[in-house]
Amino acid sequence: MSVLKVDDLTKKFGQFVAVNDISFELEEGEILGFLGPNGAGKTTTLQMLVGSLTPTSGEITYFGKSLFKKREEILDQINYSTTYTSLPWNLSVKENLTFISYLYTISNRKKRLGEIIEIFKLQDLLKQTVGSLSAGQKTRVNLAKSFLNYPKVLLLDEPTASLDPDIAKYLRDFILEERKEYKVSILFTSHNMKEVEEICDRVIFINGGSIISNDTPINLAKKINMTQIELLPENPKQLTDFCLVNKNKYTQTKKYVTISLEEHEIPKFLQQLAENKILYYEISINKPTLEDYFLKASKGGFDETT
Amino acid sequence: MKPHRIFAIFLRHIFNFRRSFDRLSDAFYWPTIDLIIWGLTSSYFVSLAPNTGKVMLAVIGGIIFWVIPWRAQYEITVNVLVELWDKNLTNIFVAPLKFSEWITSLILVGLAKALVSVAFAALVAYVLYKVNIFSYGFYLLPFLFLLLMFGWWVGFLVAAILMRYGSRVQTLAWTVTWAAAPFSAIYFPVSILPDWAQLIARALPSSYVFEGGRQVIFEHTLNWSYVWISLFLNILYLTISIVLFRNSFKKALERGLQGIN
Repeated sequence: MSVLKVDDLTKKFGQFVAVNDISFELEEGEILGFLGPNGAGKTTTLQMLVGSLTPTSGEITYFGKSLFKKREEILDQINYSTTYTSLPWNLSVKENLTFISYLYTISNRKKRLGEIIEIFKLQDLLKQTVGSLSAGQKTRVNLAKSFLNYPKVLLLDEPTASLDPDIAKYLRDFILEERKEYKVSILFTSHNMKEVEEICDRVIFINGGSIISNDTPINLAKKINMTQIELLPENPKQLTDFCLVNKNKYTQTKKYVTISLEEHEIPKFLQQLAENKILYYEISINKPTLEDYFLKASKGGFDETT
Repeated sequence: MKPHRIFAIFLRHIFNFRRSFDRLSDAFYWPTIDLIIWGLTSSYFVSLAPNTGKVMLAVIGGIIFWVIPWRAQYEITVNVLVELWDKNLTNIFVAPLKFSEWITSLILVGLAKALVSVAFAALVAYVLYKVNIFSYGFYLLPFLFLLLMFGWWVGFLVAAILMRYGSRVQTLAWTVTWAAAPFSAIYFPVSILPDWAQLIARALPSSYVFEGGRQVIFEHTLNWSYVWISLFLNILYLTISIVLFRNSFKKALERGLQGIN
């Protein structure tokens, strides 16, 4: 069941088209990665999805209801966290969470505040003003704020940026737990591709305001068909000469030589090395990842609107 | 409208008030300084011209009453400005807060702080000069209400400009109400103003309140037409200013609340 449906969404700033006619859906309990290079239109899209930016055209529907017609009812059931805004800097963490909790319909406000403070480990920060917190602590408070109203849909714009690795891991586990227990649907932007591969069921890649692809992280990575073989050869020149003769693409860094091959060519290539007595001490085979896809797609290497 | 959402914004500004020395000094320091300077000045004039004791009440009353529109306007405008400075508009409007709930909260914050400032100023006036503004009696209530309305519409008018042009025009928050002061007949009657200035004064609801106030002090009566004209003008201007503020907010949504500062 779709909890969020976006139809033909467009945003123009004067002549500049920031988001160009995009359509997609978010299913109940799904974690959808929203990726793209800087300036691709991710944040603009998210702002439209939470009603803080008016689209030029298009429709946004949550739970089968139009965001423009049922704004208050919908916003009471969703939430948003972004690294691009901060909470009031001269209010304490507790004051911020308290006043924001009153913006939502929460049945047992005090209990929920206590739960959120515990989940996000904010006990020691409650009396500190937001302005005095580190970047990572501010991110934690922002995230805590976004879970206050038991959201059914959560829009997270780079939620783990500036978090320590252990806290980021804790947060990812928490998000997965929330999805499992409450079927929370999450739209998630991040520049950390490993993180996206780890937690997202599906990824939408956006560039130049348009959706370039919409698939699972594994399928997107498979679109990069070149595998990298990194070798530490006994005689690097012997290996690079061999690559030149066989027209294999390679790069060389100090003692290592990295050769790009299609996956099915690898056994034959390794056999040829043995036949030509090209010896090596180390070998690592790196399959394509989402990051490889991201890098290629960011340079305009794909154009396959789905 | 949901009371808990109005309370949320009220709470946000009260928390801010408690933690801001600027805001505390605005509420208590400046009214006190005004009372000391103008109170002593009028005391001096009264000592030069015997049997003009009521002048003291008129001047002190003017100072205290002027605190009302100033505080009401200031709280609306500066609280909008604070949201721009803190980049907090996104946080509050990704929540189900309605525009009408927001402006209601701003009005209530302005009302609460204006009453606190006026009560404080009244106390200072009584302690320093034995002047009791409650001498205005029953007329105090309509005067208070009309001056609050005056502060609200000036506040929303400035807020509309801030929402449109951002904090680079923030100086308006501190200056606009004071620009109306010479035309509001706070300490002197409208009749002593030049003709062109009288036209401006007649268009301002505040001038009728202060004219009426002096009439109560000196003649123990009130020409109720002052109250009705002031009320009519206030309703008209308040409606226009809220429409303008609403339009500026819609324009801000077209640019994106995240980018407004």
